[in-house]
Amino acid sequence: MTHVIGQRIPRHDAILQVTGKAEYGIDLARRGMLHAKVLRSALPHAKLLKLDTTRARNLPGVAAVITAADVPNNRFGFTHLDQPLLAEDKVRYRGDAIAAIAADSLKTAEEALRLIDVEYEPLPGIFDPVQAMEPDAPKIHGESNIASHIKIRYGDIELGWSRSDEIVEDTLTTQMIEHASIEPHAALAEVDGRGMVTVHSSVQRPFLIATDLSKILKIPLNRIRVVVTAVGGGFGGKNEITMEPYICLLALKTGKPVKLVYTREEEFQATTVRHPYIVKYKSGVKKDGTLVARQARIVSDAGAYVSWGESTLSKACIHGAGPYRIPNVKIDGYLVYTNNSIGGAMRGFGVPQLGFAHEVHTDHIAEKLGIDPLEFRLKNALVDGSSLPTGQVLESVPLKETMRQAVQLIGWKKEVAWDEKAR
Amino acid sequence: MIERQIELRVNGQSFTILVKPQDLLVDVLRDQLGFTGTKKGCGTGECGACTILLDGKPVNSCLMPALRARNKDIITIEGLGTPEHLHPLQQAFIENAAVQCGFCAPGMLLSAKALLDANSHPTETEIRQAISGNLCRCTGYAKIVQAVKAAAQAMTQGDGNP
Amino acid sequence: MKKRGKGIACMVYPIGFTSYPNPSAAFVQVNQDGSAVVLTGATDVGQGSTTALAQIAAEELGIAYDAVTMVTSDTQRTPFDLGSVASRVTYITGNAVKRAAGDAKKTLLQVAAEMLDVMSPDELEAGDGKIYVKNSPDRNVSVAAVAREATLVKGRPPIGEGSYNPTTTFLDPETGHGKPYEAYVFATQIAEVEVDTETGQVDVLKIAAAHDCGKAINPLLVEGQIEGGVAMGLGYGLMEEMVLENGVVKNPQFTDYILPTALDMPLIETAIVEVPVSTGPFGAKGVGEPSLIPTAPAIVNAIYDAIGIRIYDLPATPSKILAALKEKERANILKEEE
Ligand code: FES
Ligand code: FES
Repeated sequence: MTHVIGQRIPRHDAILQVTGKAEYGIDLARRGMLHAKVLRSALPHAKLLKLDTTRARNLPGVAAVITAADVPNNRFGFTHLDQPLLAEDKVRYRGDAIAAIAADSLKTAEEALRLIDVEYEPLPGIFDPVQAMEPDAPKIHGESNIASHIKIRYGDIELGWSRSDEIVEDTLTTQMIEHASIEPHAALAEVDGRGMVTVHSSVQRPFLIATDLSKILKIPLNRIRVVVTAVGGGFGGKNEITMEPYICLLALKTGKPVKLVYTREEEFQATTVRHPYIVKYKSGVKKDGTLVARQARIVSDAGAYVSWGESTLSKACIHGAGPYRIPNVKIDGYLVYTNNSIGGAMRGFGVPQLGFAHEVHTDHIAEKLGIDPLEFRLKNALVDGSSLPTGQVLESVPLKETMRQAVQLIGWKKEVAWDEKAR
Repeated sequence: MIERQIELRVNGQSFTILVKPQDLLVDVLRDQLGFTGTKKGCGTGECGACTILLDGKPVNSCLMPALRARNKDIITIEGLGTPEHLHPLQQAFIENAAVQCGFCAPGMLLSAKALLDANSHPTETEIRQAISGNLCRCTGYAKIVQAVKAAAQAMTQGDGNP
Repeated sequence: MKKRGKGIACMVYPIGFTSYPNPSAAFVQVNQDGSAVVLTGATDVGQGSTTALAQIAAEELGIAYDAVTMVTSDTQRTPFDLGSVASRVTYITGNAVKRAAGDAKKTLLQVAAEMLDVMSPDELEAGDGKIYVKNSPDRNVSVAAVAREATLVKGRPPIGEGSYNPTTTFLDPETGHGKPYEAYVFATQIAEVEVDTETGQVDVLKIAAAHDCGKAINPLLVEGQIEGGVAMGLGYGLMEEMVLENGVVKNPQFTDYILPTALDMPLIETAIVEVPVSTGPFGAKGVGEPSLIPTAPAIVNAIYDAIGIRIYDLPATPSKILAALKEKERANILKEEE
């Protein structure tokens, strides 16, 4: 029998992609469609004193302008319902949306943006997550800037220190980055005569978009249809609603199809990013290279809203000990609000930050002990039957085999002995 | 703003259109003429998604006023080959999995075509140089480079029709 | 002076959502000519999942890859799928598709059992577009004939449904104990770099990337995922950084936010480590996200190996490396003077 599994088959739609026939979000078009634009906050943290859209509304060619008052349910979020679709009394970062406009041309929509009058009362901003944790730091939501604290406790960390011959400490930090899909966010909404709302969008999770739209617009799910176009890259950045509520509301208001494409600048300023992390590691080892204790304290800059910040941090904490057998582990992760860009989902979801931190830290420990970094890893690597600090016992763990095969590809600095398990 | 009537030659076909001096070629191609195979990823000349060939040379159409493309031959991805008659580069991109999301592919293919037209036996470095103005966030470029090599080989062996 | 070094990094990464239920569902119909249509809510964002899912359906139904058409990601035309996130589609949607195809196959086998005159459908298997008797494959009938018979004679169109949700638990809020995921993947990458001590410039010469993915449904696409992840990891390690000042992004264009180009990317050698798992479709797990995780630390560790400078804050830019080299020099001079 021939098998289809394991065959090197090219993508099913590659022929459309290479001939320019694949229809992406940015390619959507309808006769008579309107073009939308979003007004963003001019300040990182401020009270909204006045919002007047009269002049924009009166500009010829403008079909509709929406503000917070037009959103039936102006709140969203995954673990924390802390984010408005359009700002109400306050703005919390430079990407906060204040109003959205639909006009007969992109030019008119852009011009109308400048005619919206906003009066702000600036509030002190906080941009450093460590400072934001101080009790007297300006507050972004409610009483505390610490949006969540995640804990992992495994074994007995004090016992671990007492059994260690050597203790190594490092602080490592990672930067904020953008998904930078080459296709920006782009979508088109249309409403038919029966009131059926259809959104064509370049996204990763159509069913989440649909349920969130249903809650925000207060329209039942059977009257909302989300269809995914060809997607020009996602990487987690197209994981949640962004523009869809605006264009749906504008389409409902005008009865016309409405399209919105973010500019590259909006992609950077107003969509989610990879969270910057500050990771403090402390590890205890025996002279022979056996890891016996590891403590990690992680501070994640959430930005202005939690979005996927808590779930990202929790995945980071779960993997905070790295791919090693360590009997005593203590991990604390803090998610902290600031007036920076919102951290969201991005390929690796917290683990790239921790992966950088624990692997550089691991090399540092190996050096202190005078052991080759590969040998040190082999000595402590997870194997079949090992536990993670969650207590979960792992079944299939070909970690040493990946080490062996990586070495086979480009070699290593020294010969190492591969035990049976690694084969 | 004054509109002017101009003629654009795209993929061997002539179009008479009205353009304003500031209208960019990428928008005219996509929005007025429907050549949406030309993509737009930045609008600042950095990503290369909008690459077209102008008299055989790769150009970022997001930086070029449409007026300046008068009396020149424009090739867009639609002019490179069709699903029925693929250019060897397109064939090689498919077979080598050089496309993932595919958004960079039109620009990438046209930059590669300009290279192969000028140099039928490019080295790996020459290939990397030729596509260095085309950003790809998905593939790591490995399979793209491999595809261009494969196409070059196919074309010089004569089993392709450039 | 140019100095070379090698660095290694390893990782563990889970498949699917943390603790929360994250199901996928699929529908399958086998047409009267032996071709099939698969409906799934999963979205292909470039990773190639639609192709892999079609392979899973084809394998399960015993038909050719080209005989499968995929209908995807439309909330009113396809069944629920949690989405293309968390490296979950091959494993979770893959299981759903396999189950749906298996469900449709059940009807086919029952009808074929009568056609081939065997006692039980258990004696039959599907493959190469046929349904055949397990130990005498010469006794067979085409999937097309069976589907036709099932639909038009028996009045039982061969359709199937399937869904899958990994078994997980929530974590104890005080200890973090629990079973947040059903499957994990592992990987190792080794980077070889050359550092210019005059400029601080890091040239990555080679990356070896060995990734466990259970079983590669489609090695061509798995390689692509690994290579693309390495590029993203290289950008993370060496060049990408959003610079914010009072919340304003100072580099909101590709002009100043630097992504790796074809010239920045080294030779990437990939190895797919296959240890199939019983819970995955045909043993598969996933590969989407993990591929980028070890790259940045492998490069940073290689920089240390080359010049004895350990970078603790990403990205490892030439200016940081130069500053650290100067600092080290100063410290050395001080030491000598003592
Ligand atoms: S759109 Fe022209 S270079 Fe990016
Ligand atoms: S394939 Fe996605 S940008 Fe190149």
